[in-house]
Amino acid sequence: MSAPPRLQLEALGLSSACADVLRHLWDYLDDQVTPEGGQRLRAHIASCTTCQSYEMYQSCFLEAVRKLRVELGAPSALRAKLAEGLKEQGCGCWEKVRATQEP
Amino acid sequence: MTTANFATLPAPGFESGAQAVALAVSRSQYPAGDSERDLAFERDALPWLDDVYRFALSLTRDEADADDVVQETFLRAYRSWHTFIPGTDCRRWLFTICRNVFLRSRERQRPTVDLEDGEQDAVAAGSVYAAARERGYDDIYARLDLAPALRDAIDELAEPFRSAVILVDVEDMTYESAAEVMQVPIGTVRSRLFRGRRLLQEKLLTVAEDLGFTPAGAP
Repeated sequence: MSAPPRLQLEALGLSSACADVLRHLWDYLDDQVTPEGGQRLRAHIASCTTCQSYEMYQSCFLEAVRKLRVELGAPSALRAKLAEGLKEQGCGCWEKVRATQEP
Repeated sequence: MTTANFATLPAPGFESGAQAVALAVSRSQYPAGDSERDLAFERDALPWLDDVYRFALSLTRDEADADDVVQETFLRAYRSWHTFIPGTDCRRWLFTICRNVFLRSRERQRPTVDLEDGEQDAVAAGSVYAAARERGYDDIYARLDLAPALRDAIDELAEPFRSAVILVDVEDMTYESAAEVMQVPIGTVRSRLFRGRRLLQEKLLTVAEDLGFTPAGAP
């Protein structure tokens, strides 16, 4: 079992402002903090090279994950199968499933 | 990020007052066998086929299984179209059905993973960063194309964490939307997301070491 967050922060020798960044950077990058909280974090990050590096690291990580999104299309075999299934259920738009082109 | 309202799929008889009214309107608008229902299904649901397929593939990690999940998702959505509230977020509604179909197909119970507090994971991520920095790996995301390793690492995440990362980080959903899809409180999404991110960073650090990644400035 790892140490409580407060003890981990003390072990890292961080200031309370740096600790705030560590605790809430993901919330901040996800736009989940209050405007005041965001302003406080931004102000500290602007004045602290350690936190700037940490923000860069986490931003690059999140960007790398975001880039995994590829515009993958449903295969034509699936479209044909789904069209048949919808047709069996009496769906009038079943042909549209097959007609839609894969990207 | 998506900010549209959530279209719920409440159990019959358990709708809230507002939902019950909206559903009654929906049912009167789209009676079974009505061509208007088909047009609405075509307009609101079918455009999300590729998105649902991508989500199903990320859940199942198998093309044949993803096909089955998508097929069942859309057939179920069509059968239950009267429960979709027009004007709400159809993509989120379909993702919710898709995830439920997936969980049932695997005969999985609702996740009961012991979750740490989100703050604990956010702080622990700082320790991962400190370890990366010590080894000169703090710029790996900027310098390396880690996409294949990242994809593998996401595939290896336990299900509740994988869904959170996929929905929020890959599919760009808000915490609120992801919470509706996963049918858990927003705080749980946050915890799962932060844990998932921290686990990914740990794995990628190991990958960088295994690949013999040379730190910036090293001879």
